[in-house]
Amino acid sequence: MTVSMGIAAAPIEILLVEDNPADVRLTVEALKEARVRNRLRVARDGVEAMAMLRSDSAPRPDLILLDLNLPRKDGREVLQEIKQDETLRHIPVVILTTSQAEQDILQCYRLRANAFVTKPVEIDQFFQVVRSMEQFWLEVVKLARP
Amino acid sequence: MSLARGVGAAGNRIDTVATQTPSSDPRPPLAPTERLFRAVVESSPNGVIMVDGRGVMVLVNRETERLFGYHRDELLGQSIEMLVPAQLRPRHPDLRATFHASPQARPMGAGRDLFGRRKGGGEIPVEIGLTPVDTDEGTFVLATVVDIGPRKQAEEELRRSNEELERFAYVASHDLQEPLRTVASYVQLLSRRYRDRLDGDAMDFIDFAVGGVRRMQHLIEDLLAFSRVGTRGAPLVPTELPSVLRATLDTLHAALEESGAEVTSDEMPTVVADAGQVAQLLTNLIGNALKFRGAEPPRVHVGAERIGRMWSISVRDNGIGIAPEYFDRIFVIFQRLHSREEYAGTGVGLAICKKIVERHGGRIWVESRPGQGARFTFTLPSTAE
Repeated sequence: MTVSMGIAAAPIEILLVEDNPADVRLTVEALKEARVRNRLRVARDGVEAMAMLRSDSAPRPDLILLDLNLPRKDGREVLQEIKQDETLRHIPVVILTTSQAEQDILQCYRLRANAFVTKPVEIDQFFQVVRSMEQFWLEVVKLARP
Repeated sequence: MSLARGVGAAGNRIDTVATQTPSSDPRPPLAPTERLFRAVVESSPNGVIMVDGRGVMVLVNRETERLFGYHRDELLGQSIEMLVPAQLRPRHPDLRATFHASPQARPMGAGRDLFGRRKGGGEIPVEIGLTPVDTDEGTFVLATVVDIGPRKQAEEELRRSNEELERFAYVASHDLQEPLRTVASYVQLLSRRYRDRLDGDAMDFIDFAVGGVRRMQHLIEDLLAFSRVGTRGAPLVPTELPSVLRATLDTLHAALEESGAEVTSDEMPTVVADAGQVAQLLTNLIGNALKFRGAEPPRVHVGAERIGRMWSISVRDNGIGIAPEYFDRIFVIFQRLHSREEYAGTGVGLAICKKIVERHGGRIWVESRPGQGARFTFTLPSTAE
């Protein structure tokens, strides 16, 4: 009881880095059905994402959902910068992309991605995937909150 | 220049005037033969050059003048090396000597790009055939020169256009998927969230929209697979077909089980191939045998037969068969023989098969009669010569 109250007191911060508004909204809709209270913020490209992550005023996210193909600075570069940054590298990064290319998967894990998820085509599966992510990262595992 | 006054009846042998007609006045009887010979050489669409044992040009035709930009007076009596590009020129006399040591008709510089040097130094891509010609004055060499510039240019344009087409198909497929996913997602979200508030018509419309999107997605995936045959192929290496066939049957496990199919095969050989593509080929053909099955459970036999340098692999079934008038059409992309209600599919499978086989230098064809099953056969190169 006290644990769930503790979570309720501090909503989970999620940063979604995604340039396609339709996909942003879809993730928002899926997270609306989530059980865990969360606050989603959105960066539309890699440059904006890094600015938000390094800003002193914005809260540090507990989880980052990262698309690969982004304008200005793509997801691979964002991932690399996060994992090379002492103050950011503890934040789990889940790659959420349409790509199923093996070289993308390998490259992302080599860059220390915490998970690689291909967006399912079917909406029911997509909602299921978001629910699984939510359950795993926000309920099953313990996140570091320095 | 006493040579080439006349041409003997026996093949390459050109007799000099003296040997052919020992009479005191040989010229008049030979004139028709000489005129004929000159006319044949002169009107040849290829450049014709004859050189003697020292590499001196003794005969050239009009096409040679056109190709190299010289008048024949500038060529006759000169060394053939003047038509050889500068970087090869120092080595050319040795190459000539090698040919002269064991002369036999053959193409020159097999497998390499050859160039001729024009007046003024420009170079043109050429193909050259060499034929030794024995005479009483020694062995001469007849060189036939073909200007392959136009052909090279056409090949280059074709290659570029194919590359562009494949890149286009690949990019289009990827970029088309994205908006399509958006359409499907939101139509499905409508039905998920508003099902209770929509009537039967509205749900029908949503189903049609989703069905259309799914079909488009399949088309794009198949188009992508088709374009990948050319762009993503692995090198052709010795490949053991037994393991490829096993892997294929594993892939088709569910469909084989569901249809109660029985698959038999001859002993499979080792061929020179891209294993992934051959697996795709067999998957498509065996998959078709299951899909177009008749009333009986499918019986599929995979045969192998050695024909010369090739192995011929066949997939025979007892399915519904195909009428002969469609034999060519079924290998053309997006061509289908059945309505979507009868059989699902995009009409890309056999086009992919054809493209794969042709990439391997083989052929694919079908033998069938309606209601009597079908046999698809393709050829792949064998490993041993």
